[in-house]
Amino acid sequence: MLKLIGAAMVVAASGLGGLAVAGNYSRRPRELRTLRSALQMLETEVVYSATHLPEALARVAGNCDRLVEPLFSRAAAEFAASTGITAANAWENALIHYYPGTALKPQDLSILRSLGSSLGRSDREDQVKHLHLAMEQIKSAMAGAEEEAARNVKLWSYLGFLGGLITVLVIY
Amino acid sequence: MSAIVNETPARLRCGDRVIQEILPVLPGSIRRLVSALPPFVQEKVEEFRIRQERPLILGLSSGDHFLSVKGQLTGLRQEAYQVTQNDMEQLIQLISGSSLYALEEELRNGFITLPGGHRAGITGKAVLDNGRVRTLKYLSGCNIRVSREIKGAAAPILPYLLDGRRGIYHTILISPPRCGKTTMLRDLIRQISNGIEELGFPGVNVGLVDERSEIAGCYKGIPQRDVGIRTDVLDGCPKAQGMMMLVRSMGPGVVSADEIGRREDVEAIEEMLNAGVKVLVTAHGSSLAELACRPALGQLIRSKWIERIVILGRSRGVGTVEEIIDGRSMRSLGVK
Repeated sequence: MLKLIGAAMVVAASGLGGLAVAGNYSRRPRELRTLRSALQMLETEVVYSATHLPEALARVAGNCDRLVEPLFSRAAAEFAASTGITAANAWENALIHYYPGTALKPQDLSILRSLGSSLGRSDREDQVKHLHLAMEQIKSAMAGAEEEAARNVKLWSYLGFLGGLITVLVIY
Repeated sequence: MSAIVNETPARLRCGDRVIQEILPVLPGSIRRLVSALPPFVQEKVEEFRIRQERPLILGLSSGDHFLSVKGQLTGLRQEAYQVTQNDMEQLIQLISGSSLYALEEELRNGFITLPGGHRAGITGKAVLDNGRVRTLKYLSGCNIRVSREIKGAAAPILPYLLDGRRGIYHTILISPPRCGKTTMLRDLIRQISNGIEELGFPGVNVGLVDERSEIAGCYKGIPQRDVGIRTDVLDGCPKAQGMMMLVRSMGPGVVSADEIGRREDVEAIEEMLNAGVKVLVTAHGSSLAELACRPALGQLIRSKWIERIVILGRSRGVGTVEEIIDGRSMRSLGVK
């Protein structure tokens, strides 16, 4: 009986591990998609409303998906908390807090980093170019992420449980 | 009449706060140097002249000084802190609140108003559109002018400008740059607007056209300086147009504007003179004779509509009242 419980636990643990990896693969495209639409909102604020950046970031945080909300609200909070901070610093600090809790890859982080270094530093036309570049890069990362998700989500969902079963069989 | 005393305790308290308002917009390395200056030096800073690849210069009431890499004032150029490209980039980001795209109009005019009403003048390469400046790029020079509020600065001249309880005389303040003209005007407006108990003056509605955001120091439309309880501010509006707008919309007893000089400004003032509104303005110049030579302003003075002409200078410190002249009789009121 005890062995049976142990075996069930091994299968369950391994299965959940597999599901977690699969979850990460399916989360990344979702996160990228919401990031892209949040950047679109930021573009509207910057280009059409000429809203000052701290206020624009706060507005985007208020309207965007909860998956990316922490990034924008943190960046806006960084501005509010300390005087004498540049957009690049505020964005970087926000990224440091936001990135570890996401399924994003280092290459996604570097897109966001390079966007941060140009935020608010130039006229509208130039800001549009930088925002569009980041959105395009996110779009192509999204295509890759979706492909990866299609390949890996099912694989890892099954692999976890099967791995658990194999372990149980080997132990027995 | 004596010089406006600079070293009053009120001024020192004021200055303390003032430098704290400027520090956040300075790039890190310069901020550290300025913070290291003794408070009594910080109090006297009127300007920060920050030019890329050139020495950092502080304009004090006693004259210009370099700021050394050790954070001390020096007269030696080779000891001066050299402003780097990185400093300049940071400075531009900080004075624009990382929102340069939202400040196109300000860039066109060549200055940005900072929180606290201080003004950062900017130079760089002008980008033209049909022969007119569209914006500036490659920003490489910045002059931060510290705006100081000296409450009571206008007290010595007020008795000469009040026309009993009815209001004030049509007045023009004349001075060369950096002689406290704007500070004096701001305090005059504040007192006229609040009312002056000791002179039995009840206070009138003042319409202020603050084209360069220097008097009320509006930040996002809210005056950062005390311009009085009955003052309506039209911020960033061309003077001539603004004066007419205020008269039509706000019914002011006094209309005020800083640094008039263009023909349209003078035409707008002439409209005011005939509309039963009192005028309180300033103009660049060091003497009445100099003013009389300027085409538009000369005509205004000769018309004898202006009842009081106040001449400011620096002979006994910033804000010295050199002379007050009765504009009708052209006689000095014995102030000098």
